[in-house]
This record gives sequence, structure tokens and C-alpha cells, in this order.
Amino acid sequence: MPKEHTLLDAKREQKRAYWTLVLPGFLIYISVMAFPTIFSIFLSISDYNGGKLFGGKPISFVGLKWYGRLFVDEYFYLALKNNLYIVLVSVFGQIPLGFFLAYVLYRGIVKKADFFQTMIYLPTVISTVVIGILWKSFFAPYGAFPELVRLFNPTYEYGISNHPMLPVLFVILWMYTGMYLIIFIANLQKIDGAVIEAARIDGASETQVLGNIILPALSGVLVTTAILAISGSLKSFDLIYVMTAGGPANRTSVLSIYMFDKAFKGAPNYPLANAISTVMVIISFALIGLTKWVEGKFGGRE
Amino acid sequence: MRDIKDTKSIRSRIGLLLTYAVMIFFTVMAIYPLLWLVMNSFKTTTEFQMNKLGFPKEWVTINYRDSWVRGKFPNLILNSLIYTGITTVATLCFSFMAGFAFAKIPNKATKVLHGSFVIGLLLTLQSIMVPLFLIINWVGLYNSRLGVLIPYIGIAMPMGIYLGTEYIRAIPDALVESARIDGATYLRIFASLIVPMAAPVGVTVAILTVTGTWNEFMLINILTSSDALKSLPVGVQKFAGALSSDFGKQFAALVIGLIPMLVFYLFFRKEITKGVAAGAVKG
Repeated sequence: MPKEHTLLDAKREQKRAYWTLVLPGFLIYISVMAFPTIFSIFLSISDYNGGKLFGGKPISFVGLKWYGRLFVDEYFYLALKNNLYIVLVSVFGQIPLGFFLAYVLYRGIVKKADFFQTMIYLPTVISTVVIGILWKSFFAPYGAFPELVRLFNPTYEYGISNHPMLPVLFVILWMYTGMYLIIFIANLQKIDGAVIEAARIDGASETQVLGNIILPALSGVLVTTAILAISGSLKSFDLIYVMTAGGPANRTSVLSIYMFDKAFKGAPNYPLANAISTVMVIISFALIGLTKWVEGKFGGRE
Repeated sequence: MRDIKDTKSIRSRIGLLLTYAVMIFFTVMAIYPLLWLVMNSFKTTTEFQMNKLGFPKEWVTINYRDSWVRGKFPNLILNSLIYTGITTVATLCFSFMAGFAFAKIPNKATKVLHGSFVIGLLLTLQSIMVPLFLIINWVGLYNSRLGVLIPYIGIAMPMGIYLGTEYIRAIPDALVESARIDGATYLRIFASLIVPMAAPVGVTVAILTVTGTWNEFMLINILTSSDALKSLPVGVQKFAGALSSDFGKQFAALVIGLIPMLVFYLFFRKEITKGVAAGAVKG
């Protein structure tokens, strides 16, 4: 009888402890992330446009009206196209470059690997705001870039660029390549060095080591970085917001800036803004799913 | 025979030289813009207009003195410290508490609750920005410190929970069980056994939260309106972004905005790179 009693107590203590530990974090998370996500989808099919959320003018549902509006807006496609450029630069620029740099440093081909790594990663840690304004001033008509070009081509005149996305893409490449370098180095270091040494002693060339040992060992990491690059590219906001704010004439706009403008610039259109963010989430999930599918089909060796 | 060996070593030496050249090129590319910025922050605006690429003829510090006062930087830095400090401590506490419960206290709810946090890893700030703005307004927290802190903590939570739970799961169950048999309550076990053991992953979570929160700029921009509540990045954007012709001051303001993270990076280089790698593998 007394034993049963303590067992019951212990069970009760266990339950109480569980909820005491879980609830504070969970409540914050639910109210800040989970609920707003659902609320966002709800807003995207409503006609809510400012004013009181509750007790004001009743909110009615308009179905997929805003999605329809979105798909006929040329600025949506312009922003989407720019997002895709960023995805391409990330997947085919940052990842290969980051891998190349990581490989050189990991294999000990150059000395002072630590120094190179520290310097190349440096741009990634600095506030996007600082980076954005710095590059904006660098590329501006009065900045250093026209001056640099004139060193090589004295007749260069600053004009409005036909490709305003190029500087933006360059800065994205400049800023985030270091992140992939770090990810690849960390995972390269997990490979058993003895295997590589043994292969080298058996006469395998550096290229064979790369192709037969290192790349297969990293196939999982390559997929992870691709997912990271895709979702990161679709999220890009801060840097472009500071550098160009989407201008000139929305030509460097991306989906998140397009959404921001609809919600916080001029007369707010919250339903349309939320339709954009919902579409962003769907695109992101679809691309991640596609990457996983490609991995399952062609790679899959982990 | 000797000839073959010689050409081989020459070729590999050229290869090595090329590799060094490439590495040095990327390193210079990475830091040149930052050096350019620092260099020009010591020029007067007049000198910058004449000399955009070279060293200053005369190193002046007036830009820094002006920006520091006019940009209200002491206040901005203090705010950033408050936001980052509280967010990091709260994220660590809440996510390790929940992580311990998920990992070591049997409960049917764990699957759903932990799963909902993992989904949070995939959610983006954009998808919650507008609703969050409306909700914060609705509950009356617009333009308050608390109205910034609660979203910051919630956003940092999924990563903290994910890394914390994984790590605590790897701690042997036997340790927790023997403490239970000795009569320790779960809360006691958490405080005196789990917290010290989870310190290494605590550092990783702290690093990720600090860098993420310190550089955050979009959310605080829409959730606050008064200058007294803004953080360093927002202040830099407002001050330096508006100085479109006074480059000297603009560059000085950017350098001030850059220094805290630079110092943090140089001090915690190893931990930061480890944290980034750990955080990335979540996918």
C-alpha cells in the first residue's frame, strides 16, 4: 500500500515536471511561429485590410481571389525570376566554390589554412545592413567601382546598368560562400583520414581520391547544402532591401521585398502580402522536395 | 629518369603556386571591401571625393566622433546588448528545459510537440512577418521591448530545441534513472545533472542565437517605431543610409556597426564555425 502510493506520486511528479519544463517554450513558440503561420494562410483568403481584428468590420472570405491577382501581376514574375537567379548563384556558385576552397584547405595543399578560412568566412558574420550599405556605396556612381573600372578602361562612363541584378548577385556570392566553406570543412573532417592515406599509398591520384572517397562520403552533405541554399535564396531580404530596396523600378525586387512593399509601403494590402508569403513557402517546400527526390533517384549513397 | 622526376616536381610546384594564387585571390576579395571601408572612414568627405581608392593623406577621426554622437550609437549598442542577451539566455533556458523533457521524461505528447518544433526549422520569417505585426499590435505590445523579445525568443527556439534534444538524448538513460532511484525530482536532475552536461551544445545554441539576433533587422524595424528602442543594425541603416553624400560619416558609422560582430568573431572563431556547421546539418 505505501509503495503504490509513492509510485502514484512519482507518476504525478513526472507529469508535472514534463509540463513545467515544456510549456514556457512551447507557448512562446506557438504564439510567435505556429499560430502566425496558420493566421497568414487565413489572411491570404480573407478581405481583411487593417482596422480591428475582432469586433470591427466582420472579415469575410474571398477564396483564392488574391492568388489569382498575384498570378497576373508582372511584378510577381519579375521578383520570382530574381529569386531564381539567386538560387542559381547559390547552388552553382557558392556551393562549388565553397567546396573547392574547403577541399584545398582540408587536404593541406596550402599552409596557413586557418588564416585563409578565417578571412574567407569573415563577410558572413558581419551585419547584413553594414554589408549592404558598404556595397551600395562601392557600386554607386560616386563610389569606388567606376574608379576601379577606369583603371583598366579610362573611357568608362557610369551609366544606368542594364543588369541591375549583377551587383546584387555578386555580393550574395561574396557574402555567403564562406558559410559553405565552413560546412564542407566540418564534414570533410569527419572522413577517416587513414582511408585517404591508404589510398594514396596504394597509388591513387588526388583526383581519384576526390572522386571515389571524398565525393561519395559527402553526398548527403551536398543535398543538405543544396536545400540550405535554396531556402536561403528564397528568404533573401535584408541585403537587397538595404542595397537597392528592389529598385530601380522593381528590377532587383525579390518575393520577400514584393511582399514587404505590399504590406508596409503605401496602403497596406495584407491579404495579398500573405498570399505572396504562402506562395513562397509552397515554392520552398516544392524545391526542397525536388532536391530530395533527385537525391533518391541519382545519389542516395550516404 | 631524372628528367621525368624533375618535370613532375616542376609541374607540381606550378600547381602549388597556382593554388596559393587562387587562395590569396579569394582572401583578398573577401577582405578588400572591408579594408576599403575602414580606410575611407579616416578620410574627410572632400578627400574621399578626390581619392577613392588610395590611402588617406591625413588620417582624421572626426568622422567617428561625429557619427558616434549624431547616430546615438551608445543607446543603439545598449539596446542590441539587451535584445541579444535576454533572447540568448531565455532561448537556452526554455529550449533545454523542453529538450530535456522530450529526451528523458516519457510522455505521449512528445511526438507531436517535438515534431511541431522541427517543422519550425523550415518556417521562414517572411511567412510570419505580417501576422506577427498584426498580433503584436492587437495585444498592445507594438513599440515595446517585450514585443521584440518574445518573437526573437520564439524564432530562436526551434534550433535550440532541435540541437538540445539531440544532445540530451545521447546522455545515457542510466544516469537519469539512477538519480531517480536516489529520489531526485526531474527538475533537480535537470538543474544539477543535465545543465552541466549539456554545456557544449549550449555554447553552440548560444552562438547561433547571438549572431542571429544581433544582426536581425527586418522584424524590429516593423515592430517598433521609436528610435529609443531600435537596435544597432536598424540605427546604422537609418543613420548611414540617410547620409547619401556625407561619406566620411557614413563609413565611420558602418565601421562602428561592424566592430561588435568582428570582435565576437575573432574571440569565438572556433565555436562559431562549429556552431554554423552544426546548425546547417539540421536539413
